[in-house]
Amino acid sequence: MDAVTCEGVSKRFILRPDRPRSFQEALIGLFRRRHQNSARRVEFWALRDVSFAVRAGTAFGIVGENGSGKSTLLKVIARILKPTSGTVRVNGRVTALLELGAGFHPELTGRENIYLYGSILGLKRREINARLDDIIQFAELEQFIDTPVKHYSSGMLVRLGFAVAVHLDPDILITDEVLAVGDEAFQHKCLDKIYEFARAGRTIIMVSHDLNLARQLCDEVLWLDRGQVRALGDPVSVTRAYLDWSNEKAFRRGAPAEAAPNRRWGTFEVEVTGVEFLDRDGNPTWFFATGDPVTIRLHYRAHRRINRPVFGVGIHLGESVHITGPNTRFAGLEIPFIEGDGAVEYRVRELNLTRGVYLVSVAVSDHSLTHLYDYHDRLYRLEVRSRPGREAFGPVYLPAEWRHLNGVAGSIRPLPGYRPAPPPSPGRQPG
Amino acid sequence: MPEFGSGTYYFKAMLSAIPGPDRLAELFRYRELVYNLVARDLKVRYKNSVIGVFWSLLNPLAMSAIFTFVFTVLMPSGLPNYALYVLIGLLAWNWTVGAVVGGAQSIVAHGPLVKKVYFPTEVLPISTVLSNLINFGFALVPLFGLMLALGQVPGPQLVLLPLAILTQLIFLSGLALAASALNVPFRDTAAVLDVLMLGWFFLTPVFYRVEDLAGGWSRLMYIVNPLASIIANYRVLLYYNTWPDPLFMLRTLAQAILVLAAGYLVFSLLRDRLPEEV
Repeated sequence: MDAVTCEGVSKRFILRPDRPRSFQEALIGLFRRRHQNSARRVEFWALRDVSFAVRAGTAFGIVGENGSGKSTLLKVIARILKPTSGTVRVNGRVTALLELGAGFHPELTGRENIYLYGSILGLKRREINARLDDIIQFAELEQFIDTPVKHYSSGMLVRLGFAVAVHLDPDILITDEVLAVGDEAFQHKCLDKIYEFARAGRTIIMVSHDLNLARQLCDEVLWLDRGQVRALGDPVSVTRAYLDWSNEKAFRRGAPAEAAPNRRWGTFEVEVTGVEFLDRDGNPTWFFATGDPVTIRLHYRAHRRINRPVFGVGIHLGESVHITGPNTRFAGLEIPFIEGDGAVEYRVRELNLTRGVYLVSVAVSDHSLTHLYDYHDRLYRLEVRSRPGREAFGPVYLPAEWRHLNGVAGSIRPLPGYRPAPPPSPGRQPG
Repeated sequence: MPEFGSGTYYFKAMLSAIPGPDRLAELFRYRELVYNLVARDLKVRYKNSVIGVFWSLLNPLAMSAIFTFVFTVLMPSGLPNYALYVLIGLLAWNWTVGAVVGGAQSIVAHGPLVKKVYFPTEVLPISTVLSNLINFGFALVPLFGLMLALGQVPGPQLVLLPLAILTQLIFLSGLALAASALNVPFRDTAAVLDVLMLGWFFLTPVFYRVEDLAGGWSRLMYIVNPLASIIANYRVLLYYNTWPDPLFMLRTLAQAILVLAAGYLVFSLLRDRLPEEV
């Protein structure tokens, strides 16, 4: 039996730059339209003739670039958006984890928010009662459950949101990489929960940038490219084809600084207008040596007053390895508000990266880290050369020191040290 | 498929937008969400302040004191127990303002939710109207206090008060539904509403008698402005202490139902666009 069937699903967004956004503009338009006929309509097909079926009890992955229509597809399946044409059939109760804790109210306690968020997701009070202890325990918030969530950290909020959502007991779970938040231990816990879902014979539909996860978890993978189905089928071959294609594209593109516009997204109430890498004398450059001080300066323009923004930086090696992702909130820098132009600096005393080309992302978001004003995904390029005699293996080196302990006998306690496996016996050496 | 923009096109779009029984059944299934949203509004409003309820009562009481001063001392209206007369009007008016202005903001204020979670969006304006109903209910306490203080013991007509309140609830739900959806494509709805509400306040017999202002045109005023009829219902029951004209009450109810139908239609026409544009 199929849990979800999409037949020829298309979704068209009509962008009308001239459409009045207010009664005021509509009124002015009444007088103007007599002189010029300005019915400009820009059509944009976010999805075009997408067909597939997800068998009940299987995991279905969706991969594709940013802007390829993945999120739109999930929203159409979740009934949030109505397709322009085509049909979507769904058998069973659906829960869509597209944003965690979107309905939380800061003044209410964790417990009160569980009831509120649960009912937004369609749960009855007695169903929530039955699951309340599990939810609180899963979120690891036993101590703080009666504290207003305005005092929660972003990690706690995400945990609470996820805990409520996964205890809904849906037949079909739709998720959009929300797992990329929270600390690592909790991410594992969430993944375990998703695997548990899969083992329990539930249907999972997920968007993922993590191709390894898609390969491991999914029974089938769909590759969307500009709203159309590029490939559909076996996870290994589809992710392979997608990866090859995207590598080739990145190669052809050359410098990532001239990247396609789909490397940048957000709502743009605040824009990052420029990014500079400064050396120890404050001169802009993009060549550094291992161990140099580096300042990454983000210039921004806030089109209106934005309270408590969070600025962040991401450093990546190639397309797949995310090395670090600091932000002002994690560092405890509270910016009360911004308005107009300004800049934020991320100063690295010692660049612990070894030789290579690194891609840098910058972002500005709201305080909860869920609403992005402007995100530049790996748009900037930073080159690091090594210093003679310094570390060169692996992309990073950790600030550490070596010590030699002469004459310490080899009695290792069972934990936390490890005993290596015995070396292979001389007679059975390979080669 | 009729041509886009033609009269037939809009007519068909309108017909298909009319919410069917499944839509209404789904809305009913989400009643718990409505309950939780109302509870949230009240908790947030009254949290951290023991005298929160007092603050919400202060406005109508202070306003009625001012009006009473103006219309019994400065320019006497000739109405006995004017304080009671005006307080009834002010309470009904405050509920209206809260429901319409708050309702207009309700969907935009929950933008991220509407974009990312599926639920019948109607619950947002409806819960705004209901949480303002609860405030109206709180405010009835000092109203009855004032009645007793003035020596007016409510009569058996009081059994009709729930019907009068239901009429206003239906009327305001229609307005809030329309305002909440219109505010998404037209973001200056709130600014337009400010002006409209001010005009409406003076054209509604809150602090005067329709008959004093409109004379022979009173009947027309009651029909054009359903809120005038709604307030008249309250006054018959609570101020004049008599049995109302059943036809007048039923006509007001029918009008409120029409407003709800029209408001829900406006909402339904815009509904599919809400998650895209909010």
